[in-house]
Amino acid sequence: MTPASLRGWRLVHRWTSLICSANLLILCVTGLILVFHHEIEHLMGEDLDSSYTEGQARLPLQSLVDIAQKADPALVPKLLSFDPEDKAVNYIYLAKPEERGFDLGRWVVLNGFTGANQMLKQPEETLVGFLLKLHVDLFTGFAGQMFVGMMGLLFVVSTVSGLVVYGPFMKKLAFGILRFGRGTRIGSIDLHNLFGVATLVWAFVVGLTGAILSFSPLITGYWQKTELAAMTARHPEPMTGPAVSIDRVAASGLAAFPGKELAFIAYPGNEYAGSRHFSVIVRGHTELTQRLLSVALVDAETGVVAEAAGTPWYMTVLMLSGPFHFGDYGGLPLQILWALFTIVTGVVTVSGFVVWLKRPRARSASANRGASGAKLGSKA
Amino acid sequence: MTGGMTGGMSGVWRIPAALAGLSVFGLAAAILGDGVWDWLCWATLAVPLAVCLVKLWRQWPGRQTAGV
Repeated sequence: MTPASLRGWRLVHRWTSLICSANLLILCVTGLILVFHHEIEHLMGEDLDSSYTEGQARLPLQSLVDIAQKADPALVPKLLSFDPEDKAVNYIYLAKPEERGFDLGRWVVLNGFTGANQMLKQPEETLVGFLLKLHVDLFTGFAGQMFVGMMGLLFVVSTVSGLVVYGPFMKKLAFGILRFGRGTRIGSIDLHNLFGVATLVWAFVVGLTGAILSFSPLITGYWQKTELAAMTARHPEPMTGPAVSIDRVAASGLAAFPGKELAFIAYPGNEYAGSRHFSVIVRGHTELTQRLLSVALVDAETGVVAEAAGTPWYMTVLMLSGPFHFGDYGGLPLQILWALFTIVTGVVTVSGFVVWLKRPRARSASANRGASGAKLGSKA
Repeated sequence: MTGGMTGGMSGVWRIPAALAGLSVFGLAAAILGDGVWDWLCWATLAVPLAVCLVKLWRQWPGRQTAGV
């Protein structure tokens, strides 16, 4: 590497890191706690009711929809969502009949075995909800979420540029050397280099998947406007009669993908379904295949599958970003490792900032020599 | 990964590359399956953290233990 390009990489590393460092610290602190959100929700009594007796049969989906509609008879069901981890938890989205989007309606959470209706608390009312909102969008909605996503991308550039400048810096130094006796700057550089390079892959993966998740509204929106819209456009027939039951729709969709389970069902007339076709979206059972979605369009009047397809690669990337960001795919030991990596990343952030604070000020020293020469001289 | 000015897979990159390889394997392992895959994930992902901890422990200010 030429000295000029090394200088360039150092500048990239310095500025990408500095710009994202404040947000990164917030992400580290909130993320460290959110890793254990299930455990915290349980301790705070905020977890959803997922109790049922062994061997108990699930309620028909139509019964759940009916219960949900009782909450507000002016609204109609638009989307059913099935929790991948907690089989008893069903989310039902209700909105005004003419609404196609997902902004103005309300979610109802039901126990799929008992039909027990559970009020969803506002995010600000629960500890996990508060931390999650702070983590995802800094309480500033969509714009904040895009901002955090951009900070995530800067962090990714910061890890890559950090790796580039690590090599030349360590050329004459042993791996893992920590010269704590040589002053704050040298000690911080060494700590930053060791912790940073040792956990670089984890930080890169968690940063990148976090940025991808931040942009999830754009990614799913793109899928909905391109492939899904093209699919529903091939079946433009309008509704002419009554719809078959939601349970028959679900059974037809599942039959198109043997061995899969329900993920979502979108009702005709919303933006994720056709004008007279339900979208039945299914996923697999394993840690890997539960992130791979497929979609079947089911005719609401006949209950017949009109078309079935997988989802494009970028939807798979988005779905797989979840586990690699949350660390929730390998039990409690992986959550603990995730938390420890988060602490190390926090140390890398702070030590890197200290290195910048304690940088030698050769240029400003010569410029200000007349005014405060003695003070600056003592620093050198 | 090349060594840049140091040329090839030199001393600078040996341990970081090994830790990176273990991290990639560990991150992927638990998504591929349960049981033994989870154990492989935990064991390999613990290595980079253990390296940080051991290096810090041995070189903590005031600690007499020599060696890096």
